[in-house]
Amino acid sequence: MTKWTPSVPCIIRVFMKRTCGLHRRVFAALRFLFAECETRNPLLAVFCLSVAAGLSMSCGTETQRNSVIFASSADATTLDPHNTTDSQSDQVIWMLYNALIRYDENMHFVPDLAESWSVAEDDVTWTFKLRRGVRFHDGTPFDAHAVKGNFERVLDPEGGHNRRSLFLPIERVEVVDDFTVNIVTEYPFGAFEPMMAHVSAAIVSPETARKYGKDFGYSAEAVAGTGPYRVVRWRKDLELVLERNDDYWGKLGKLDRIIYRPIPEAASRVIALEAGDVDVITHIPPADLPRLEKDPDVTVTKTLSIGAQQFRFHCKREPFTDPRVRRAVAYAIDRKSIIDNLMPGMVAPSTGPLTPRIRGRADLGEFPYDPEKARELLTEAGYRDGFETKITTTPRYIMGVEIAQAVAAQLAEVGIRVEIEVLEWGSIRRYWGGLLPEDCPLEIFIMGAGASSADADWGLRPIFSTQERNENNYGFYSNAEFDELILKAMREIDTEKRNALYRRAQEIVYLEDPGAVWMYDNYHVVGSRATVHDLTTSPLGLVTFERAYLKP
Amino acid sequence: MLRYVTRRILEMFLALLGTSILVFLMIHLIPGDPALLVAGLEAGPEVVEQIRRELGLDQPLYIQYWSFLTDALRGDLGTSIRMNIPVLEEIVDRLPITLTIAVGGTILATLFGIVTGVLAAVHHNRFQDALVMVGALLAASTPSYWLGLMLMLVFSLSLGWLPSIGIRTPAHYVLPIVTLAGQSGGIISRMTRSAMLDVLGQDYVRAARARGQRERVVIARHALENALIPVISIVGLRFGNLLAGTVLVESVFAIPGVGRLLVDAVLWRDYPMIQGTMLFVAGVFVVVNTATDLLYGVVDPRIRVAGD
Repeated sequence: MTKWTPSVPCIIRVFMKRTCGLHRRVFAALRFLFAECETRNPLLAVFCLSVAAGLSMSCGTETQRNSVIFASSADATTLDPHNTTDSQSDQVIWMLYNALIRYDENMHFVPDLAESWSVAEDDVTWTFKLRRGVRFHDGTPFDAHAVKGNFERVLDPEGGHNRRSLFLPIERVEVVDDFTVNIVTEYPFGAFEPMMAHVSAAIVSPETARKYGKDFGYSAEAVAGTGPYRVVRWRKDLELVLERNDDYWGKLGKLDRIIYRPIPEAASRVIALEAGDVDVITHIPPADLPRLEKDPDVTVTKTLSIGAQQFRFHCKREPFTDPRVRRAVAYAIDRKSIIDNLMPGMVAPSTGPLTPRIRGRADLGEFPYDPEKARELLTEAGYRDGFETKITTTPRYIMGVEIAQAVAAQLAEVGIRVEIEVLEWGSIRRYWGGLLPEDCPLEIFIMGAGASSADADWGLRPIFSTQERNENNYGFYSNAEFDELILKAMREIDTEKRNALYRRAQEIVYLEDPGAVWMYDNYHVVGSRATVHDLTTSPLGLVTFERAYLKP
Repeated sequence: MLRYVTRRILEMFLALLGTSILVFLMIHLIPGDPALLVAGLEAGPEVVEQIRRELGLDQPLYIQYWSFLTDALRGDLGTSIRMNIPVLEEIVDRLPITLTIAVGGTILATLFGIVTGVLAAVHHNRFQDALVMVGALLAASTPSYWLGLMLMLVFSLSLGWLPSIGIRTPAHYVLPIVTLAGQSGGIISRMTRSAMLDVLGQDYVRAARARGQRERVVIARHALENALIPVISIVGLRFGNLLAGTVLVESVFAIPGVGRLLVDAVLWRDYPMIQGTMLFVAGVFVVVNTATDLLYGVVDPRIRVAGD
């Protein structure tokens, strides 16, 4: 029997000798231990050698490269801008396509495929002068017809594109000449520019889009934009490889390749970054953040995002029909202690319903923590002894469950007895969209909200304006004055007047007749190897590589 | 023997049909609506309605099942809702990875289990026995996702010997296979030990020794061969567990296999993809079980005779 035992140390020894990254001290210690076990069986030795040789093949191949490996939590779902609804897809799309205009880091609009743009006296006709000499990855030239084709594609009711609702204010697109295009809105639309800078306004090649139809954007061949990188390979969930587009019309990218390798498990993602197997990661668990920040080989950057975490009320359900009860809940929550204990350094307390990076937001200050005031309001509303309710949350949001538990404990202090219901994403999502108030069993529920166009209109109108069914206003919030202000602001293109209207609307929904309890504004936390420089993280949470380069 | 084999294969198809009905009912019982998930949080109601219509989700359940079944018989498992690609193609693409890990795990677990189990039985009640049994207990009760992370911390992060995530070279397979094999290895080891102890106490073993057979021959030829029957049945069953275990291991090591496809499909309520992967996994499981049953016949002539 004992004859079998030498195989184990033998494998380890040969393996250690052969593999790269050999740690001499460990090796020496182990060698001392295994010194006795000389290989007595030549066959075994050959077997071990071949195993070790096979294993060591992997090492050393990726040392000389000018590429970056990026690990997010999930693979891109689609590379069709008209269908994308997740940031994993969005950030790849920005490497492949251009829109007519886009946001710079300070959230100002800058030209992209349009050289200049202006709005006519009628406030509805927007004229874009287009860049000349631009070609899509498939060779098709970019011109006014391509622009027209794009908006017609996304707006086609038969096309069934996920982002159609975003562009509904557009009435028609007119080709003036090959490089001038007019986009006419149905009414003066205040959020026109944010809409045009949205990722879904990126221009796809009409040729490739026609060729692949509904399959456009779902495989490496079925993608063609005008952007600085192009897709060379896409093996779903394994890797998506982009290569520099050397015919790019703008400044060429510095990296040869960008490789997206999704890692669903957060702990594995952090280890992979620390081990140097990937260069950039997102979605870092709060517990790992201090360790990464101390690691000299890793750079951690934080960018304030457009997204905020809120708890919303079912406003058509007792007792939340009474604004005083909702205000009482808002006063009873100590946001600071929750942030400090659960997510230190990862978020900032909310100072309004929209985060500072959103156009048209008003700074209304942190909502005060005042349990006394909460009890007063409850007594006033006829709930002197509090009431029983339910908080529904989902682990899909970072610390979603823990935060709900903390909130429940704080609400208990003012007499509100809370039961916590934890649902997985698909199960909570079914209550959001198209239900009548009586069919929606939620009471207080967690929700992450951000305006993907970084503008107040998209950040407030869909989710707080009155709807009979909770199509996007998942909590059935309804306030007549708010509705009026939002509609007025939507049709106002003068920024100052518009901001004044939005300020009033935000006061209502944040302070007077709260539609939600705002907890905190998210930071996008990105960890990267110290060798990676000039990464960009936009407030939209998208990591892009236009200027990124590698330097040891 | 032929009748036995045909009967087993017929049963296999019945099992698959049953699985497809069960899976179909189950996925419609879990709450959630794929159209809402695909459309995203900001989509308007008309978009959601359109997606629902295109996916055929507005049809009654029996019609949905019937069209699934008839398509499946023609070899078309439908199109993934989330990824918009043919389900069958994606599964076939990924199956080799998952099977390599599952089969590799089974082989490693079996080798490890039998070697240590025999070692423990031979050194019954001595130090080696205790060592193996404690080790096997530890291995059997360590959750694989935790084991995977620990192995990654030690071998990728601290020592830098093996790559942490992904699957591109042979070296990438080492940690996932070891992780997957851990639990089953422990169980098989304990199983082998008790089976061996049973056999070693039997008269014919004593008789073999009395005949002056060498100890090695007694153990390897007389004892082990007879102890293998319960071990084979447990290995067959463990293969199913290992196949299921790839779900966890593939998530931890970011491996694009069938297991991860299934997890994502469930999270996204990607009905055709859930249906397809489940059918495939069930198929592999049934085939392996049938093969195990047939293997008994090879090892144990009594079963072969009874089957005829």
